[in-house]
Amino acid sequence: MPTEPQSRDTGGMIVAAIFILIGVLALWDTFDYTDADSFVFPRTVAAAMIVFCIGLIAWSLAHPIDVGSRRAQSTPRRVGLVTAMLIAALLMPYTGFLLSGLLAFAAIVWLAMYDPWTRGRLIVYPLVGSAIVLGFYFLFTKVLLVPLPTGRLFIG
Amino acid sequence: MLTTIKRVILAPLTAALMILSAGAIAEYPEKAISYVIPFGPGGESDITARHQQPFFKKKFGKDLVISYKPGGGGAVGWAQLNKMPGDGYNIMGVNLPHIIVKPLQKDVGFKTDDLALIHMFHYTPDAVVVNIDSQFKTLQDLIDHAKKNPGKVTFSGSGKGTANHLAQVTFDKLAGTKTTYVAFKGTGASVTALLGNQVMGQWGYTSVGAKHSDKVRLLAVAMEQRHPRFPDVPTFKELGFDIVSGAYRGIAVPNSTPEDIRVKLSSLIDQINADAAFKQKMENDGFALVNVDYKGMKAFMEEKRKGYAAAAKEAGVIK
Amino acid sequence: MDSLGYLLAALTPYHVALAIGGVVAGTVVGSLPGLTATMAVAVLIPITFSMEPASALILMGAIYTGAIYGGAYAAILLNTPGTPSAIATTFDGYPMAKRGDGDLAITLACIASVCGGLVGALFLLFLAPPLANVALSFGPVEYFWLAILGLTLISALSQGNLLKGLIGACFGLLLSCIGVAEISADVRLTFGSQTLLGGIETVSALIGLYCIPVLIDLVATPDRHLKVEDVSRGFRLHEALDISWRSKFNLARSSVLGTLVGILPGAGGSIAGLVAYSEARRSSKQQQDFGHGAPEGVQATESANNATVGGGFIPTLVLGIPGTPPDAVILGALLIQGVRTGPNLFTEHGSIVYVFIWGLLLATVLMLPIGLLIGRYAYRSIVTVPKALLVPTVAFMTLIGTYAIRNSVSDVAIMIVLGVLGWVLGRFGFSASPIVLGLILGSIAEQGFVQGWIIGAAADDLWGQFFGRPISVGIFAFILLSLFSPLLLSRFRVKRELTGAD
Repeated sequence: MPTEPQSRDTGGMIVAAIFILIGVLALWDTFDYTDADSFVFPRTVAAAMIVFCIGLIAWSLAHPIDVGSRRAQSTPRRVGLVTAMLIAALLMPYTGFLLSGLLAFAAIVWLAMYDPWTRGRLIVYPLVGSAIVLGFYFLFTKVLLVPLPTGRLFIG
Repeated sequence: MLTTIKRVILAPLTAALMILSAGAIAEYPEKAISYVIPFGPGGESDITARHQQPFFKKKFGKDLVISYKPGGGGAVGWAQLNKMPGDGYNIMGVNLPHIIVKPLQKDVGFKTDDLALIHMFHYTPDAVVVNIDSQFKTLQDLIDHAKKNPGKVTFSGSGKGTANHLAQVTFDKLAGTKTTYVAFKGTGASVTALLGNQVMGQWGYTSVGAKHSDKVRLLAVAMEQRHPRFPDVPTFKELGFDIVSGAYRGIAVPNSTPEDIRVKLSSLIDQINADAAFKQKMENDGFALVNVDYKGMKAFMEEKRKGYAAAAKEAGVIK
Repeated sequence: MDSLGYLLAALTPYHVALAIGGVVAGTVVGSLPGLTATMAVAVLIPITFSMEPASALILMGAIYTGAIYGGAYAAILLNTPGTPSAIATTFDGYPMAKRGDGDLAITLACIASVCGGLVGALFLLFLAPPLANVALSFGPVEYFWLAILGLTLISALSQGNLLKGLIGACFGLLLSCIGVAEISADVRLTFGSQTLLGGIETVSALIGLYCIPVLIDLVATPDRHLKVEDVSRGFRLHEALDISWRSKFNLARSSVLGTLVGILPGAGGSIAGLVAYSEARRSSKQQQDFGHGAPEGVQATESANNATVGGGFIPTLVLGIPGTPPDAVILGALLIQGVRTGPNLFTEHGSIVYVFIWGLLLATVLMLPIGLLIGRYAYRSIVTVPKALLVPTVAFMTLIGTYAIRNSVSDVAIMIVLGVLGWVLGRFGFSASPIVLGLILGSIAEQGFVQGWIIGAAADDLWGQFFGRPISVGIFAFILLSLFSPLLLSRFRVKRELTGAD
């Protein structure tokens, strides 16, 4: 067990502080519910969460933890992945599911690519990608009868 | 802002489409219709839609494709209805009193008037349900007990501001009793509580009596006349309480749907309702058919809106 | 007709074909994140109109049981439970896959699922009417305590600090309040957003919180997703059978627990796996292995969650009260066919019920070869597909699957945002499981609490309502046990480390 780098769980404490804020926000929101039955539960839970957070902060101040060393990893790719997915989701109603799905797929292939782009991969990957997207699109719309968005830009 | 852009782009397109669809009206429906249920599968809204499904196919040769968009007690689906294409091939189930009471409570993303209602095809009458071995043999037993023990008689029911809840409030007022209403998340859960003796009775529906006929007894039904499935159960009216209520179910379309398609659709639903086999199946399950068509909808809604709004205010679910 | 007759009726070529088709389709559906058994069964309803009720039931039951098993693939290979019932499969399944034992984990899951499925179906066959009353003896207060039990179990079981687990559980409970309240129709915690009005859908949250963090970490490094051995080792069936035989008590206990907890409508399915997992851990000699790839963990969860299939059918068929969402759909399909559920179903409609139960047993047995084959294929494709295709494919599946759950773009956006949140929280030692379980059990806990309160107040006996009913007291004792035993254990462990042992 690597025990060298010991320090306080600062990150955990910051997260706990943010959760306290969320709890307060939730408590504040409960004051304009119309029905008496609907605020009891969220109020109790928010209060409990705040108590647990205070407990965690107090505990962390007293107890050091092991901080494992982390390897260098690519943050831009992470951000890229999430952004590509979010954009695909937001475009969906306008471009239709098929187009936004294909675009997201292409973008993520590019993001997840660590090997060099050989000619074979340049041909195979787009083909496989399109096949997967089209296959699932067909499965969902025709077999499972899910009304995937068709895109308001193109069709009424 | 996006919506404005969309409208600018879409207006000519929609217009073109309307002309196209108007040309094709003679054969409507000429392809499968997507029928969205704004609740989860397995509930009464689903089951009644499923009853319609085979009859639609048989009569008009096209499929009704049922899908679900649950959330917010129907609000999620209704809030999105008008964003769907108004070509007659997108329809959605609607429920009363939900579509009247919810928008009165808070901004839930839609207004009652925004919904283009086409046809109300059935209703599930409210009923007082007790276990078969309950001490209450008649409604009068229950009223007597409730008068002696104010607040102690507990009823389960589906949700708040719903047909069950509003009926309970109205009944308390008319009978001069004070009973406790315990809201459950749906009729299924509220029946379970009744069967497990967690509550003394249930404000449920006639369909509960049909489904659990070996375990429960109906004390009274909120109908004009007795239900054909339960000829021995009196109506509230017979017993002197003016309660005729229940959950109505019908169909709405996006408000961009052309007028002639709305009329046609209403007549299709009407034809299914007129089918003797359909009527038989629905009544066996404890439902009651109604026929409020597109023409009669406005007057029907006016009347219901007044009644439900008053009852909801009484029940304290709207301010 | 005697039971042999029913068995023969279930074994007609037509029914065998239905069972095979159902298990295959179900396994595939279950293995894709976002495709649920509920959806697959609902799509089939129009087809079943033209079928005999017993045949329709066999088809739907086969799909259902296949889908519950299929959920293990994504849980083991992608750390993504396809259904809430597979959450605890990720605890040990994913670490096993990480260290190169994914094939073994899948084979173990298959054997465990078959065991659990058989036990559940046998209970359904022999003990359904008396056991159905268990469902009725659970009132609102019992459900409330059951939900709290689930939350304490998961807080104590998942990795890291118990306090962090509890905070996560509370956060999940708050998430469950978002949107239009199920009962009172009050709009809560949306802060004016229309997107949040529909609340957070649990399966999409499950996908977001579990799958997105895996994807985020996958794109960040060039390493392979799972460790691979170069030699093909087949199914590793011998090894798996060996392990299964050694933990036969674990399998039996988990299957029975799964059946019994699965009887409870609504809560059963998601909690059964957890209860079985925690019992397996408690009675194991190698407690410290749990969470780091202990085969017993996978076995416990997978046998328990397949046992809930039979368990859930008990209240569905006897009382007409669906145990799980797929049960609700199946019940609806039966009603449309004019079949009335109830104890009469077993006596008067034996030809439907018993043929169906035998069909379910048949489908469960068929799951062994089918599951092994599909499982091997799933494992190989996840292992051999290059990362640049694996990541976009899984990402695309999360998009389409989340959308399809209730045809909502908002759900997709919420799924991605929750995923990012889950990744960030994970870095600080807050695991996703308590949050997800809080979200799932939130409405059960809340409704049980409010209803229990109202009923207790009406009877002037709040204390007795919450602490005076025998089942409540039992569950409450179990909660205290699971809450304080890890605290005591960890104190013990810290002491041992300080004194320099090890």
